[in-house]
Amino acid sequence: MNRPPAALRVAAAESRRPPFRRVLVANRGEIALRIIRACHELGCEAVAVHSDADAGAPFVRAADAAVRIGPASPVESYLRAEVIVEAALRSGAEAVHPGYGFLSERAAFAEACRAAGLVFVGPSPETLAGLGDKLAARRAAARAGVPVVPGTLEPAPVEAAAVDGLLAEAERIGWPLLVKAAAGGGGRGMRRVESPSELPAALAAAAHEAAAAFGDGAVYLERLVSGARHVEVQLLGDTAGSVVALGERDCSVQRRHQKLVEEAPAPGLSEAQRRALHRLAVAVAREVGLVNAATAEFLWTPEGEPYFLEVNARLQVEHGVTELVTGLDLVQEQLRVAAGEPLSPAVLAAAERAATPERHAIEVRIGAEDPARDFAPVPGTITEWHEPGGPGVRVDAGVEAGSRVSGDYDPLLAKLLVVAEDRPAALDRLRRALDELRVAGIQTTLPFHRWLAGHAAFVGAELATDFVARHWQPAEARATAAREAAMLAAAARTGSHARKAVPASQAGQPAHDGRGPEDAGAGRTSGWREQGRLEATARWPR
Amino acid sequence: MAPLSYLAGERLRLTVEGAEPLVIELDVAEAGPPAEPAPGRLLRPLPVSAIDRVEGRRRFEVVVDGWRFEVAAEPARLADLRDRARRASAEHRPHATATVRAQIPGRIVTVHVAVGDAVATGQALLSIEAMKMENEVRAPRAGTIERVAVASGDRVELGDELVVME
Repeated sequence: MNRPPAALRVAAAESRRPPFRRVLVANRGEIALRIIRACHELGCEAVAVHSDADAGAPFVRAADAAVRIGPASPVESYLRAEVIVEAALRSGAEAVHPGYGFLSERAAFAEACRAAGLVFVGPSPETLAGLGDKLAARRAAARAGVPVVPGTLEPAPVEAAAVDGLLAEAERIGWPLLVKAAAGGGGRGMRRVESPSELPAALAAAAHEAAAAFGDGAVYLERLVSGARHVEVQLLGDTAGSVVALGERDCSVQRRHQKLVEEAPAPGLSEAQRRALHRLAVAVAREVGLVNAATAEFLWTPEGEPYFLEVNARLQVEHGVTELVTGLDLVQEQLRVAAGEPLSPAVLAAAERAATPERHAIEVRIGAEDPARDFAPVPGTITEWHEPGGPGVRVDAGVEAGSRVSGDYDPLLAKLLVVAEDRPAALDRLRRALDELRVAGIQTTLPFHRWLAGHAAFVGAELATDFVARHWQPAEARATAAREAAMLAAAARTGSHARKAVPASQAGQPAHDGRGPEDAGAGRTSGWREQGRLEATARWPR
Repeated sequence: MAPLSYLAGERLRLTVEGAEPLVIELDVAEAGPPAEPAPGRLLRPLPVSAIDRVEGRRRFEVVVDGWRFEVAAEPARLADLRDRARRASAEHRPHATATVRAQIPGRIVTVHVAVGDAVATGQALLSIEAMKMENEVRAPRAGTIERVAVASGDRVELGDELVVME
């Protein structure tokens, strides 16, 4: 990396003023901690806000000050814009970083910050309002000459009488198609429609779900592109109007339209394809007047054509893989841009190299979910939490041993990221890091990631958004693990008592876990080895 | 408490708890030595209740390849006795009811059934929203709804009674 000598860096740090004196972090969990760390590295103080459920959480302890904003339920805490603005003013914060989720893309919250004289670390309220409506975003992309998934650009009528007029449009788009909510996200307000007869019911159901979930029942039609990958481009823009692309990510491994695994760069794209994709993303960003960090999402068809989906005008959960490949700290860059600084030389240099990445990074999301039960959330208390370490490994965690995982929030506990010189090396590193990760007390997505990291289709980068639905068959692996768990419990239950009564011929058999009988014969009579193991078991886990 | 000593020839019953419990019985001689920590494997004792103690049962949390299990280990002969006693008392009951309880804390979104409804195995009874996701609660077996303990909008905690089936 082209970094100045240490002496110069110290001098630079002394001369560089922090972008803000104090920043309020309007989020929780791993992302709040991530933002607090960036603040501290920049020399800003960080103020945390927290619900009752999060009092004493790692992100709250890491902050320089903490403000309680309400009970556990998000609507009574992390979604209360006026209470958070009030907390920012009272704590003397100059800026508010919203993280992702919660209020991060609410134009009204950005507006409330601005009205209170606070800097909202994100796009302008006008941009957020425009991008929150997926139809408006589709129209903006079409205006900028960016291909959008074939479909409608205006809200579809949902009354039964008007649906007939829509059928011609639907025929043009082709079957099967998707009915999607203009205000939607995370798969809500989305319906798959196989044939014309299903269309009226699907429109009504999607509109109803969207109205309930987002307060906006507008829906539109979109072609169902089968076998496509989800590829997205990281964008960063400054207040002077410069926008750059910092590389793309593949996020095709999803369940219920929510990402499980992300990697950068997207495997298998040529340099020319990368450049073209980045250009499209920048064109959309310019069209909507993007400032700060955002992500343009695309479907990548099996033929290698990108179709614009939407812009997420905020820091993404998976921003870390881009950081590991580019060497940038996106949160620090967000704060600098929010303070009115132009894109830094480091950002511009990274943008230059974005189509020719020299490293590969993979992120897996460790969630409190049961991968054997369709990734259903499983709240509980973490009794043991041991993170992997070593070269090329980064863990962004919001929990620790003793953390209670509440059902009130997203089940994401931590993100495990690895970086290496290429994808095969990154996969090796991922497998090693997953071996080191130990969690007890709750079920997590760990079995899925261990399986994925060794799965031929994933190793071969045969990616598509239906990857999980097509390949994940956990029943057998779980049953095998259950049997082994029973044997481990049996061994722990009986300890060495039984061994004394066992003939030597049986005692020498390999242990159930496949380990060799390394202690067969010699040493058996003294029992010191068993005794040592018993003691080790009593201490274990450390 | 006095440690139970095990002898070869004695049988051990292992129950991996869950929706479909896995029950294994084996001779203690087959149990082998305690395994050393290996990647993806964890074992820790769980607290035992007074009844567990009386019945010689111990519980473990075991993690294998990231899969988390709770395993009860107990002398098979005591488990057999208990099972027989349970079967005997079940035969005296005129009809059995099934109580469906919340597997996750959350908020009731929709209740699909009412008292008196006949439901089939696997039929959706109600949905619970937790962690931004809706989870369908399904009938464990066919039967008639005897009682619905919750309404949409209610908050439920782990183990709360949701529906009683006849």
